[in-house]
Amino acid sequence: MKSLQHVNVYTVEEAVNTLREFQGEAMVIAGGTDITGVLKDKLLPDYPKALVNIKTIPALSYIKEESSGIKIGSLATLSELSKSPLLQGQYKVLAKAACNVATPQIRNMGTIGGNLGQDTRCWYYRYPHSLGGRIMCLRKGNGPCLAVAGDNRYHSVFGGQGCFASCPSDTAVALLALNAEVKVTGKWGTRTIPVQEFFHPRGNSLKKVELIQEIQMPYLAEKTRGCFLKYTLRKPVDFAIVSVAVLVAMEEGVCSEARIVLGAVAPGPLRAKKAEDFLKGKLIDATVLEEAGHLAVSGAKPLSMNSYKVEIARTLVVRALTDCAFD
Amino acid sequence: MQDELQEALKFIGKETPRKDAGDIVRGKANFIDDIKLSGMLHGRVLRSPYPHALIETIDVSRAEVLEGVKAVLTYENVPNWKGGLPPHVGVLDRKVRFVGDAVALIAAESEEIAEEALELIDVHYKALPAVYDTEEAMKEQAPQLYSEFPGNVFPLACPWMGPDSLQEVVIGDVEEGFAESDYVVEGTCAYDNIPNPLPIEPPGVIANWEGPEDLTVWSSTQSPYFLKVILHYAMGRINVRSIASHCGGSFGTKVAPWQLAFYAAALAKVARRPVRISYSKEEHFAAYTLRLGSRFSGKVGIKKDGTIMAVAGDWLINAGYCSDAAQGMVAVGCGEVQLMVRSPNWNIKPKLVCTNRNASKMVRGYGGQELEAAFIPVLTMALEKADIDPFDFFKQNYVKPGDGYYWRDGNWWVSRGINYEKAMQEGAKAFGWKEKWKGWLQPTSIDGNIRTGVGVGVHGNADVGEDVSEAYVRLDPDGTVLIYSCLSEHGTGQRSSVCKMVAETLKVPLERVSLAPPDSEVNPYEFGPVGSRGTYAIGAAIIRAAEDARQKLLALSAPYFNSTPEDLDTKDGFVFLKGEEDKKVSWKRGVGFDRTCLGYGRFEPDFSVPNFAMVFVEVAVDTETGKIEVKRVLTATDVGKIIDPQSLQNQLHGCLGSAGLDTAIYEESVLDTKTGRILNSNMIDFKWRTFLELPVFDSVTLETPVQTHRFQSVGVGEIMTSPAPPAVLMAVSNAIGKRFNRYPLTPDIVLEALGKCQKTEVRSRK
Repeated sequence: MKSLQHVNVYTVEEAVNTLREFQGEAMVIAGGTDITGVLKDKLLPDYPKALVNIKTIPALSYIKEESSGIKIGSLATLSELSKSPLLQGQYKVLAKAACNVATPQIRNMGTIGGNLGQDTRCWYYRYPHSLGGRIMCLRKGNGPCLAVAGDNRYHSVFGGQGCFASCPSDTAVALLALNAEVKVTGKWGTRTIPVQEFFHPRGNSLKKVELIQEIQMPYLAEKTRGCFLKYTLRKPVDFAIVSVAVLVAMEEGVCSEARIVLGAVAPGPLRAKKAEDFLKGKLIDATVLEEAGHLAVSGAKPLSMNSYKVEIARTLVVRALTDCAFD
Repeated sequence: MQDELQEALKFIGKETPRKDAGDIVRGKANFIDDIKLSGMLHGRVLRSPYPHALIETIDVSRAEVLEGVKAVLTYENVPNWKGGLPPHVGVLDRKVRFVGDAVALIAAESEEIAEEALELIDVHYKALPAVYDTEEAMKEQAPQLYSEFPGNVFPLACPWMGPDSLQEVVIGDVEEGFAESDYVVEGTCAYDNIPNPLPIEPPGVIANWEGPEDLTVWSSTQSPYFLKVILHYAMGRINVRSIASHCGGSFGTKVAPWQLAFYAAALAKVARRPVRISYSKEEHFAAYTLRLGSRFSGKVGIKKDGTIMAVAGDWLINAGYCSDAAQGMVAVGCGEVQLMVRSPNWNIKPKLVCTNRNASKMVRGYGGQELEAAFIPVLTMALEKADIDPFDFFKQNYVKPGDGYYWRDGNWWVSRGINYEKAMQEGAKAFGWKEKWKGWLQPTSIDGNIRTGVGVGVHGNADVGEDVSEAYVRLDPDGTVLIYSCLSEHGTGQRSSVCKMVAETLKVPLERVSLAPPDSEVNPYEFGPVGSRGTYAIGAAIIRAAEDARQKLLALSAPYFNSTPEDLDTKDGFVFLKGEEDKKVSWKRGVGFDRTCLGYGRFEPDFSVPNFAMVFVEVAVDTETGKIEVKRVLTATDVGKIIDPQSLQNQLHGCLGSAGLDTAIYEESVLDTKTGRILNSNMIDFKWRTFLELPVFDSVTLETPVQTHRFQSVGVGEIMTSPAPPAVLMAVSNAIGKRFNRYPLTPDIVLEALGKCQKTEVRSRK
């Protein structure tokens, strides 16, 4: 790893000012479970001059309930989310998603802000510089996406805009189902972005002098049940091959509201709107849920090696809906 | 006599504390990264971005002037040393042959400076077409890796195994055999996921020149003396002193890290200071050692009663960009397949091919695992035709005392080992094989979308007595015992186990026995603990040395008793008259305070004792998601006599890791055949089992005495990975009723077999 400056900051304002001082040549570090790997492997052509450590900002570490819903400081760790007594009922999908990330050690270090802001796991993008040089690609600003003609078993099955990397975040899937918003602060002040818009086809909408400050989750009107499922090759450690978060409101066997989000199949978490619309007002039975599963993956455009992800996504949607509807 | 010996045993077969356990736990054990020499520099390797290219120009001038840089080497100024078999790999070459091949070497005051300097080297390459597939590589138009190996095919001779080393299995007349068969099946299976056995510690070597012809190397190795021999020949007959650190796992891959030694020694020569080359985990993944790629295409003829009449086929072996004794693995693989199948007629023709990817070198399983994992799925097509239970088949076929086989030296050997039928029978009983086996392609149970199935595999080698071991044992007058053996500790506890053998032989407390450091300047020749040979071959040499020392002790003490050595015995550091234990004299008084007794022992190769392992597995397959869960594993073996129960248990558990069982479900190196890059060179994307996902694991281990050495024991450590991969393939096939002819069975492959997703583009990573 190259040497760089490590600057502790104590307020959000100080963090923004420090990022400004380095004129875009500094990166934010919180838990560091992702960025340390990015730096050690020298994935990116530009190496930062400094890391701005925001772990030292005490005011960013909270999970609290307000009249409008639940607010989570960006430094809340994944372990804290997994165990929080406030994440009950519909919010349980977030606790479950957080609990499904990596290993206990990583959940103790990793934060919700970092889980949203982490870089993609595309193995072309992540190829270490020490083994013959990093691979440049569209996401890095220059070059083709090698996954299209290469080994794309873990890549997007819902297309991409020149880049077919999928979003690795587990919490993003739950947060989109929960209609959450991301509050970010930068040199132009503070803005709030719906989770859907936070992710871009080639990354996220965070600017270089910006950091995630808070996650806000509104109350959902209906009494809903939730389910989060994650498919991996191994139980611990792995990033999702497919994940699914589902929220369903039922009244006497009829679905009044459904939110279905797929993870690791697209550049960001993906809402399955067709399936959601189909379910609304339906008397729920196994046939209806099967159909919803098909609709959830309709429009998928798998690459040469990953059509299996479509089938797994379909199965997971049916299983998650079944869990919510009949549990 | 036998019963007396067994009853009297104090250490053998008993739980005793491992000698180095405390040091490891307290951080006192010296691994290669703990060795810091005064003035030591740090070496780094610049690696090729191309799978195949010529270096047109290379400019190191900017790197040379960076402060802290002490040596920069390119192909233009490296010594003319050659490794591989036959010798074909230099320190650096103008031609690079895989992504990650070494282009330049740098030694600097710190790792950071060395890394910075790598960025300052300007190289222009002329890219050449690359080839990754064995069949493609042998075609006429294929890119040629070495001018000396036309067609990209290596010669199969393995001189250090003897002048007639085994290069094929040809016995009888296969055409006659097929004619006499009731069924003849034909098929192809690939075991070419080139997994990385992945010991925890990446490889590392430190080199220092004590004089122009005198080199000392410290390395994390399984075989320090063998490394000395290899370097001596590869580096122009220089004197090499080879010292092993504690080795953080090897699984065969660190037997002889000559390439790292080349780099460190070449840099040290220029810098005139010690140089350390320590690979990163990424280099360990993509530029060190993979398992051989293997593909079997052939025919098996069988009679209705399950008798195999003929086996014929091509065995294609992918060695990657170089052969580091892959010929030895071909020889042993050809031997091992004969141990597991009894057939009057054979014709297996191996082809060893080089391709533009990281090299496949020595790995636990050593040829047999690679051949059998590809061959057994073809064999089982024949068993299915004849409706023969695979367990019954293996029990019938596995080599029995009196059966013969061609072994690696090309000679016909006859087994004088154990009849393993009893171990198989007891293993099957403990597993419940007869209840769980429902026939070929039949699940054991179906519960909604979950189907379970069972499989069984068998493997063994006759290498437990391979190669030479020598040892000295020194009895000190103070009653302590020192073993001189160039046996390094690579994680199995073997250094501790040989102390038990000596303590038992000399009847001294275990804590009085210790080993000299694994240093070739101190100890006699030792091939190393490979091929499960630690227990028999190394053990025999050390036991003989202890017995020799004991004889000298008794002879020297005899005058004190006015007796003959035959009437004397020794225990706890005293010599006494047999039958009159109270008439005793301490070693010191018996031989004098100024005398040590030095015994010598030597073991000569003996290929007449095959060992054996059988693995039973039960898997559950989710037919909706293609996920495979290994529910239960049971190993069955017979070890003659257990030396150390805990070490044995660790070896049995080893069937799960180190490119063993899990190569059937997810362990693989993902080679991108568009760029030549290995894409999963990290601990997340390379799928290996974690401790949180261990299946139910049982073992049946019998102890049937076998004529090896004093303790009648036979080693099984190395072989435990090998029976499992085809057993898992069999179990999954049975669970879902579909045959497979490739590894690993990732969910895409399973769902495709079930017709639930589109056919995946064939991954040509051969």
